[in-house]
Amino acid sequence: MKHSRFAGIVLLLVMLFLYLPIVVLVANSFNLSRYGGEWAGFTFDWYVKLFTQNQPIWEAFERSLLIAATATVASCVLGTTAALALHRWKDRLQTVHYGLIYTPLVMPEILMGISLLMMFTAIGLGCGLFTIWIAHTTFCVSYVTMTVLARLQDFDDRVIEAAYDLGASPLYAFFKVELPILLPGIVAGGLLAFTLSIDDFVITFFVTGPGADTLPLKIYSMIKHSRQMPVINSLSTLMLVFTCVLVAASRLVANRRHRRPAAAKALK
Amino acid sequence: MDLASEFLVFDHVTKRFGALTAVDDVSFSIKKGEFFSLLGPSGCGKTTLLRMLGGFERPDSGRIWLDGKDITDAPPNIRRVHTVFQNYALFPTMTIWDNIAFSLRLAKKPKAEIEESVDAMLEMIRMGDHAWKYPSQLSGGQKQRVAIARALVDRPQVLLLDEPLAALDLKLRQHMLLELDTIHDQVGITFMYVTHDQGEAMSLSDRIAVMNSGRVEQLDTPAKIYEAPVSSFVAAFIGDTNFFEGTIVATDGDYCTIQVPGFAAICAYNDKKLDVGQKVHLSVRPEKIRVTLTPPPPEKGARINVFQSQVTDVIYQGVYTKYWLKSGDRSVSALKPHSRFLLDQETITWNDNAYCWWHPDDGYMVENFSALDESLVQTTPSAAPKGAVS
Amino acid sequence: MSSFREKWAEWGVTLPSLAWLALFFVVPTVIVFGIAFHAPSADGGYSSGFTMETWHAVVRTPYKEIVWRTIWISAATTFLCIVLSLPCAYAIARMKAKWRAIVAGLIMLPFWTSFIVRVFAWRTLLNPDGFLQHLLVSLGLCTPETMLNYNSGAILVVSVYSFLPFAIMPIYTAAEKFDFSLLEAARDLGARSFFAFRKIFLPGVRRGVVSAALMVFIPAIGSYVIPDLVGGRDSELIGNKIYQRTFPDRNLPHASALAAVMGFSVLVPLACVAWWFKRQDAREAKRLAEATARKLSGGAA
Repeated sequence: MKHSRFAGIVLLLVMLFLYLPIVVLVANSFNLSRYGGEWAGFTFDWYVKLFTQNQPIWEAFERSLLIAATATVASCVLGTTAALALHRWKDRLQTVHYGLIYTPLVMPEILMGISLLMMFTAIGLGCGLFTIWIAHTTFCVSYVTMTVLARLQDFDDRVIEAAYDLGASPLYAFFKVELPILLPGIVAGGLLAFTLSIDDFVITFFVTGPGADTLPLKIYSMIKHSRQMPVINSLSTLMLVFTCVLVAASRLVANRRHRRPAAAKALK
Repeated sequence: MDLASEFLVFDHVTKRFGALTAVDDVSFSIKKGEFFSLLGPSGCGKTTLLRMLGGFERPDSGRIWLDGKDITDAPPNIRRVHTVFQNYALFPTMTIWDNIAFSLRLAKKPKAEIEESVDAMLEMIRMGDHAWKYPSQLSGGQKQRVAIARALVDRPQVLLLDEPLAALDLKLRQHMLLELDTIHDQVGITFMYVTHDQGEAMSLSDRIAVMNSGRVEQLDTPAKIYEAPVSSFVAAFIGDTNFFEGTIVATDGDYCTIQVPGFAAICAYNDKKLDVGQKVHLSVRPEKIRVTLTPPPPEKGARINVFQSQVTDVIYQGVYTKYWLKSGDRSVSALKPHSRFLLDQETITWNDNAYCWWHPDDGYMVENFSALDESLVQTTPSAAPKGAVS
Repeated sequence: MSSFREKWAEWGVTLPSLAWLALFFVVPTVIVFGIAFHAPSADGGYSSGFTMETWHAVVRTPYKEIVWRTIWISAATTFLCIVLSLPCAYAIARMKAKWRAIVAGLIMLPFWTSFIVRVFAWRTLLNPDGFLQHLLVSLGLCTPETMLNYNSGAILVVSVYSFLPFAIMPIYTAAEKFDFSLLEAARDLGARSFFAFRKIFLPGVRRGVVSAALMVFIPAIGSYVIPDLVGGRDSELIGNKIYQRTFPDRNLPHASALAAVMGFSVLVPLACVAWWFKRQDAREAKRLAEATARKLSGGAA
């Protein structure tokens, strides 16, 4: 009893610790004071500045979206095939395959960043959007694979056998039966990949080239040069809202399956 | 065996997994429209046999013929043999309606025909109201019915059922047994039913193949398998039995006398005309043994086997009471059905001295036996409560 | 024939991801390791001759100092994260199912927001003109001259903040499966509450704790953004040095050697944990087999 209360208090303090910087940041985005030490009055100025005077931020944002979208698509394809192979076969090839998928998950990002940079330098590939796309796809593949693999392990393989049994060819069974079952896993993996790609700083930092700054790189350089700190606050607040909406949306997608029968009935 | 004229033929089929021989040189044939069961303990090879017929495994040697065609090497999607899987294996992303329509859509049947067939199937399994639900919203019994409908809708040549009732509870299982029987009568398709539950097999099948370690031990009608088992394995696996192992010491017309070490001499019906000196296992089913406090009246016949014994355990099980008796060095189990509760015959309780007796015609001699089969015979009361019904 | 086709199918499905990762993960890793054996060249690349010079440099100061600092800050971060996570995981696991999902979601939510933004928030928070300094001064806990930012302490706080969710989640997952009636049983038998926690709850979630330690230690070792934004000149970590050698100094062999050092300091604990998990699995399997055997022999007797 006493113990539970102690644990509860620690949990409460930890939650405070986790949200304090975020709350202060959001508050400061509406704070007239330039340095945010104390409350100087409410203002929308920083948001107005963000939208009217900061074209480079929006260009960087567009680049981030482009890379995240393309890297998500590529990693979903690679990750899904990888998960299928890992689930279906259990031989030495798959042991090696699994090792390759797993290791990037436990390697510090900076190592992947520097090694890719060294390789691009060695083969003389100029860094830019293309190299960023390669890097992002590489680290996203592992996450998508793991998500899809978890989904595959959840469902009964006999379902595929049942499809063959009823006359389906392997291709038909894959597209009509297996893929629909995997889709929630692929979507979840894709959302994860998209979030990780949009958010990635360290790897991108190493493999970026002139004119290829993504949003996190842009924010970093603004922080580094102490330029327009309050504008970063307002931008960050918008990003927080954006992420929350995305997370909520993915939760809704995950729960959608339970409500579909009613919709199907209504259609008929 | 004329391969071409039989409907479904297993011809010397063998399948190995590494060092293990799952199916060992099995040959038998099945008639068209028959309800056929493969019965055996887990690991006896029955599921492997079924999967070879479904096309999911290929035999190492031997052929499988269906309706005059060799289907041994045909992939599952080519053969018109459908399976009802143990865990139903319904497509989770499709509605019940779409699940059932799956094979018809694959065959590119006209839309009107698909609708007609699927609705007819839904009607048959009484699931019309659930057509637009998803499998996750159904109960076990409902899923099972859908799985059967999905496999039957395009009229396969053979329907394979792989332990279809194993995941259901007892009441539902009994209900589904009746339903399966009705469906089989309605559609007239050949059913091949795999189970480890002798009750299911006995109540449904036209014929049963009892399998043990990769071989078919006996293939016969349910009654024959119960009453005239060819081996001690079959006798012990199908229902409960008492085994008396001994040697024939005298023959007398249709009857013979068996000397059982540690027990008395037993008289048994000698249908196989075995000679003196033959070692045999005599199987006597518990329900055929009467237990009374007084000896049987003499008019029951001179040959009757009567033994004095002491009651060591009494287990009341509703429908009947099971007695464990000690006679000589032997423990004998006997069942006594209750016809008139309380008014019933004299009460027999623990430690009573009672007579157990049976007619020589009720014992059945088995000359094939192996030591391993002993484990199948219930020897301790603690293992008894499951009873002989299941 | 069919196994031949099966082999083709397997390669067909495996090859895309296998080839991609071989090309963009294995090859670059090998290259990095290789470059560490060359000398830097004047044009910012590396010369072709083989040398051990880089490795000699790595084991001397100031590199040695940086490597040690990285390891102790990472170890301290890991320790603090675990100490904070244990009561949190315990508290969440004892909640009702509905609340559990909500609180676990709230703990993970900051993780979904931009990492760089979170570090930036701390930078402003720890700023001499920032909220925290004002708060602490008014509480009399520090003077206006105290520097909260730009030192190892700041790195530690922000690291704990950033990696805490990674520690809470695995321990919480393990705690969720923990049978809490064991604790009640222990207390019923007279154990003091902390004793019960230490002797029963802690061993019950030890797998979660070990995973959590790994999940925190690895990114802490590889940290770059945190020491760069809230660390000072004398609190550089390996990550900063790799960056500095790669870009401003353009000394690729030194950067490569440092990357290799970082790789090893991650691989060693990783291998230990993998070995430990394997041993635990083997023990559990053995125990299970023994129990089954005992049951079987008991049933036969």
